[in-house]
Amino acid sequence: MTLGLREIVFISVALLTALPCLIVVFSRNILYSAFALFFTFLGTSGLYFFLDAEFLGITQVVVYIGGVSVLLLFAILLTKNIDEIRKTNMMSGVRMIMAGFGALALLGSFGYALTGSVWAMNGKGEYPSTTIKGLGDLLLSKYLMPFEVVSILLLAVLVGSLVIARRSVK
Amino acid sequence: MELTGITSYLIISFILFLAGLLTVVSKRNIIGIFMGIELILNSAALNFAAFSRLTARSLEGQMVSLFVIVLAAAEAAIALALLLAIYKRYRDINADNLTTLKW
Repeated sequence: MTLGLREIVFISVALLTALPCLIVVFSRNILYSAFALFFTFLGTSGLYFFLDAEFLGITQVVVYIGGVSVLLLFAILLTKNIDEIRKTNMMSGVRMIMAGFGALALLGSFGYALTGSVWAMNGKGEYPSTTIKGLGDLLLSKYLMPFEVVSILLLAVLVGSLVIARRSVK
Repeated sequence: MELTGITSYLIISFILFLAGLLTVVSKRNIIGIFMGIELILNSAALNFAAFSRLTARSLEGQMVSLFVIVLAAAEAAIALALLLAIYKRYRDINADNLTTLKW
């Protein structure tokens, strides 16, 4: 395991992804959790760039950070409690302990299974150098049906969220 | 085990998944629960992209990741619209207090 520049950058991006997760779980201030979630998405985008998935990395930044995180912050600020912000994201103690035990058990068993298993490699597949052309070809040829269904779904989401959150008509 | 192999991506996405699971189970604020859901979806998309590049060497896993990202954004919009409607009605977003539908 050589420790070149690529490995050092990979370790730092992996830490950028994994450490804010702990802040999301264990923080009692919901604004801290929201900003830590932002850093997790940024780290995941960096990991997509390590996987040569540059379109996916950019889409992650635009959709998750620019869309979902901003929406989350708007929702937090619109539903802010009158009392202090520092205690807005409390955890239930009993559920936390039991979930923690379950998570540790899963971590042990899955960690053992993941590090010990050998994944079958597809030797004859070739990976294109830029993904966006290949993704566009796939989206309009083989995955045309999910593409159209997702567009109808987005229309339904648009209309539905307007209907749900509007002022009730007297 | 090389550092940028498939195993490290799986471990990272598994840590994300466990953090999301802990958040969903133990938070009281509905927005906190929703952040856990986003973490879980994110970990699944990362898993698909890692397998697509390093094991299957084709683009179809990234296609699934793209659809997962789109669906997560759509679900974010609906979930937060529901949250606003609940807040208008009950003035409270503590998940333990919203027990009207409980039998």
